[in-house]
Amino acid sequence: MESVWVLLLLTCIFAESFASPRGLIFNLENGELCLQSAQCKSNCCHRKSGLSLARCADKAAENQECSRKHLYGVYYRCPCENGLTCKADWTIVGSITNSDFGICQDPAEKK
Amino acid sequence: MLAFWSLALLLNSVATGKEVCYDRLGCFTDNVPYSGTTERPISKLPWTPEKINTRFLLYTKKNPNNFQEITAVNPETIGYSNFDTNKTTRFITHGFVDDGEENWLSDMCRRMFTVEDVNCICIDWSSGSRCPYTQAANNIRVVGAEVAYFINVLVEDYGYSLSKVHFIGHSLGAHVAAELGRRVPGIKRITGLDPAQPYFEGTPNEIKLDRTDAEFVDVIHTDSAPTIPYMGFGIRQAVGHLDFYPNGGEYMPGCKRNALSQIVDIDGIWEGTRDFVACNHLRSYKYYSDSILYPDGFLGYPCAAYNLFETGCFPCPTSGCPKMGHYADQYKDQITSSSGFMKLYLNTADAKDFARWRYKLSVTLSGKSSVRGYINIALYGTGGNTKQHQIFQGKLQPGSTHTVFTDLEINPGTVTKVKFLWNNNIINPTLPKLGAAKITVQDGEDGNVYNFCGSDTVREDVLQTLTPC
Repeated sequence: MESVWVLLLLTCIFAESFASPRGLIFNLENGELCLQSAQCKSNCCHRKSGLSLARCADKAAENQECSRKHLYGVYYRCPCENGLTCKADWTIVGSITNSDFGICQDPAEKK
Repeated sequence: MLAFWSLALLLNSVATGKEVCYDRLGCFTDNVPYSGTTERPISKLPWTPEKINTRFLLYTKKNPNNFQEITAVNPETIGYSNFDTNKTTRFITHGFVDDGEENWLSDMCRRMFTVEDVNCICIDWSSGSRCPYTQAANNIRVVGAEVAYFINVLVEDYGYSLSKVHFIGHSLGAHVAAELGRRVPGIKRITGLDPAQPYFEGTPNEIKLDRTDAEFVDVIHTDSAPTIPYMGFGIRQAVGHLDFYPNGGEYMPGCKRNALSQIVDIDGIWEGTRDFVACNHLRSYKYYSDSILYPDGFLGYPCAAYNLFETGCFPCPTSGCPKMGHYADQYKDQITSSSGFMKLYLNTADAKDFARWRYKLSVTLSGKSSVRGYINIALYGTGGNTKQHQIFQGKLQPGSTHTVFTDLEINPGTVTKVKFLWNNNIINPTLPKLGAAKITVQDGEDGNVYNFCGSDTVREDVLQTLTPC
């Protein structure tokens, strides 16, 4: 009985993955599982910690925490929205461990 | 098809007319309208109260994590428990195949304890809900009778007042209110969280939840597409004093994820599997649960239909918008007996927290050249700042005005400034500049209008700040 359910579930998953015109690999909505930011509509593939799964999420708004754009493609803090810069210090350890966090700021704003 | 139904009806006209009687609860028949109608072709009698085993699980501020099981059959269990007769009691009831010990019921209780001190009773009738749908749809009559019996004991033995009773039911559980409302008239409030559609849509009021079952009935519709062929589980028709249709009431945002992303949910595989089966249907209690924490985040705008709401029905009338969910009863005094069904529309987010604040934004462009691209706007106010919301996409013509309604993820409060940004994704060597000459922001809740002006223009992907004018 158990195996029947598992089989049914898997069939559903495969059936949907081939039938679906929406994103399974690209053009993913927020909340969908991703491996790379390029897959997401929002262009940010986000995960909370090194062990958690990554999902597409909105980019960071002004005054929110952010990461600089980098080549890993998966972020602990999303990069900033257009027009904003992520004010973060660049460190060697941070760039390796993907933890150069900062705050999104508008470069035009005079401090 | 017609032959099938007429045969089914014929068979049932023979089968109906039976009756079962149970101690304490009285008799239940399968006569019309309970069976033998086009809405309810298969006739079933409700199971015995022992088999359905309706349990009352009490949570209070003193025991928010572990329930105390109380029963009206042995009323002393109520006396020994943390039940406080001076406080409001909220009953929460699950639906088909679900379980009263499922997390969402006790989570809702704990949310309530953060804003109020109440007796929160989760009703478990899982033994009667895990059976064929036609059977479960009749078992709820016994559940309704059990709840009525429980409330009657409270009234008789403890002098409890019906004006302190609030009954919340999800799916089939919402129709428990029909039997309850008939046996105990005058309950203060009943909330239907996406009441079930099959076997109830279009049936007489004695079977289904309706506005006569309590002094105030509010309903949230989240899965009201027809069951055949769209597999919508929730009732379409308006049945309460206030009927909320968030996101139009048929398809909820965040419920169209690919199967893997839906099942492997942030809240775990079990929650994800539930959403995979009935995501839209289950959204109703998630919205209710969030509404406890965001009193102003779920305003329902009175409107004739969802497509009209998308382009108008804004802002709230001077009497205010009813609040979907927990605080809907604040609007109770403004409902007159003569007013018809009130349909209310709103949009929610695609994941928790679901609260949204609706604003009307209008932008007048300035500049010299027109380009194709999109416009983003972010609001800055006393409550913080929003992310950038896309207002328009297409040809950006200087002098033109674009107006949209946007549902913001935070409540910006009093808006103090606005930022404008435009972008086109094609490299343009002429480096065009565009700006916003004027941006008007209107708050949906109280209709406040804020005007912002800008004099300069900006290059692509550069933020322009507009100040009040």
